[in-house]
Amino acid sequence: MSTIIVDKIAKSFGATKAVQDVSFEVRPGEIFGLLGPNGSGKTTSIRVILDIYQADSGSVTILGGPMTNEKLNHIGYIPEERGLYQDVPIERCLTYLASLKGLTEDQIKERLPKYLAKFDLTDHAKKKAKELSKGMQQKAQLIAALIHDPEIIIIDEPFSALDPVNTQLVKDLLIEQRNGGKTIVMCTHQMNQVEQLCDRLVLIDHGQVLLQGELSEIRDQFRTNEVIIEALNPLPEQLNGVSRIEKLNDAYRLTPQAGISAHDLLNELVAQGIELNSFEVAVPTLDEIFIRVVKEGNGNDE
Amino acid sequence: MVMMNKTMNVARYEYLHHVGNKRFWLSLIAVPLGFVLIFVVSVVLSFLSFDTRPVGIVDQGNLIQIEPDNSEKSTIFDFQILLNLYPDEGTARTAAAAGEIQGFAILPEDYTSRFHLTYWTDKQPGSDVQSAITNFISQNLLLAENTDSATFARITEGSKISLQSLDGSQTSDGTGWHRIVVPVVIGMLNFIVVMSSGGYLLKALVEEKENRTIEIMLTSVPSRDIMAGKIVGNLGVGLTQIAVWVLLLGIAGFIFRSRLGLLADISLPFSYLAISLALMILSFLFTAALMATIGAAMTSTEESQGVIGLMVLPMMFPFYFFTVFLNNPNGILARILSFIPLSAPLALSLRMAFTSVSPLEIGLVFVFIITFTLLMFWLAGVVFKRGMLQYSKRLSFKEIFNKETRNA
Repeated sequence: MSTIIVDKIAKSFGATKAVQDVSFEVRPGEIFGLLGPNGSGKTTSIRVILDIYQADSGSVTILGGPMTNEKLNHIGYIPEERGLYQDVPIERCLTYLASLKGLTEDQIKERLPKYLAKFDLTDHAKKKAKELSKGMQQKAQLIAALIHDPEIIIIDEPFSALDPVNTQLVKDLLIEQRNGGKTIVMCTHQMNQVEQLCDRLVLIDHGQVLLQGELSEIRDQFRTNEVIIEALNPLPEQLNGVSRIEKLNDAYRLTPQAGISAHDLLNELVAQGIELNSFEVAVPTLDEIFIRVVKEGNGNDE
Repeated sequence: MVMMNKTMNVARYEYLHHVGNKRFWLSLIAVPLGFVLIFVVSVVLSFLSFDTRPVGIVDQGNLIQIEPDNSEKSTIFDFQILLNLYPDEGTARTAAAAGEIQGFAILPEDYTSRFHLTYWTDKQPGSDVQSAITNFISQNLLLAENTDSATFARITEGSKISLQSLDGSQTSDGTGWHRIVVPVVIGMLNFIVVMSSGGYLLKALVEEKENRTIEIMLTSVPSRDIMAGKIVGNLGVGLTQIAVWVLLLGIAGFIFRSRLGLLADISLPFSYLAISLALMILSFLFTAALMATIGAAMTSTEESQGVIGLMVLPMMFPFYFFTVFLNNPNGILARILSFIPLSAPLALSLRMAFTSVSPLEIGLVFVFIITFTLLMFWLAGVVFKRGMLQYSKRLSFKEIFNKETRNA
């Protein structure tokens, strides 16, 4: 059974339709990517899931039913715009936020030092949030989202403001949480992170779902027969069975004509006496798919 | 039960966040310290400006039978006018010219027929000088009529008048200076407590909106529980302020008990205090909901400060129209201000101190204010849910009451 089922939700603010007919499911123990350009309706969708907003129509099922006050204790949330009390020491701030998630004083006393140590914040526990770097604040925010050991983690732009070392720390942490059976919904613009972490994703724009499914399926869906080669000698202007030759930095992208396979292209290159350093079938990156789908507005028949 | 705990966690955090702050205690001490400072400065200034030189009396009519009693000396709390007798105008004038006395009064031979005397001086005498002279002369005139000094003392003290309302519900000793002072003090306390603790609430909400903490809180605690916790916490802050001030007053009263005999005159009925306190709490709740509404609708602390200024006006109305309350406590204006939540605590306290207010009217005031408060809480709930997540732009009236946006 899916952990989160979003079924045809719609939400308008006045004349603005923030979300229309959006549906997706998040399965247990997966990292699910919720993608979309700015203003696409991602945050509204999350707020509807979290019951901060009431949907005009449609429904959300979470952990087997509608949202309840008790279920709030099983969700960890990090909004896109981080929220920490700036004038309060982070230890006190995290203690307070953990108490709002239903943890007892003893539980907080036991868990908080471990998390502070894990995120290398022990020495900064008495400092106010405003005295910490953005990266440290981000880590403190992660503690607030994880300390109550939630079943669902909803995290918006988890890697913003993090340096490469801390980015890796967060990635490892998300993988660790997933491996521990947690369900993670991740909103991000960093497609390389989605490619590395997400099992499935949904892409929404203008409040509507444009694309969704498993990452590998989506890649296959947008796969072409294009190949990328590195040649030791210049290519001729025309090759049999090739409709387009595009010069890249140190390589060429070849677009085959209809009915021509990668194998046919390789044979043609060999026949032309072109010495190759590398030959690979081009797989579209998620970035390319994202831009293409959003630009063309297609893929919503998925 | 869990939600109740969370509400109490919000309340405890709000309370400790403010009460545990050095600034809270500094401002808490600064207010009574300011009053004490003003009192001390005014007493010292009036003592320094008080002319301690004696006043001369020249008795041309042979009316003076006893020597003036100059045994009591002036203190900073109790000024005494000393009187010196001079045999003739020339001696008195020489003493005045030498600065030994501040002036002198000449009782002419025909004083008992005209009761008119002349006071010679270079500066306007205060009422204490005039009282000292007339009391001394009256005492001598009464002694001439064989009135003993004890009877004289009683006569000069005057009558004690007791006031009783027509319906018998209220009594007063008539001299009652505290009838003015007590409601004014209650009004000031109410103003300071409501504005400061309400101000804390507004500041907390706007800050949570500015630093986005509110979004984390809304995914942990329902909005109505957040509101309830904040209001309870900040009400606790306000009540702590009152408790500390009352404690300080008690300590001061104990230390200066020998000097504050006049406080013994104060006898306040329990109902008066109970009604004033209940009104103060209701006024706080109304203000808290109003502050929450403003905090949720505004986008920055600076923006919200301007709106607070507007709220001060109605709270201060009873002070602005103080003479209206004094002269006509059951007039239309005094009654209208009794029904407005922000001005009601002071308005009704003043009216109850100056006149008899019927229980029916007091009951109606409570019904009105409770209704207003509930409506304000409803509005606060609507604005809170809609406005707290609207970071970049102020919530408009149209958006608040637009059905399509209200269920956000």
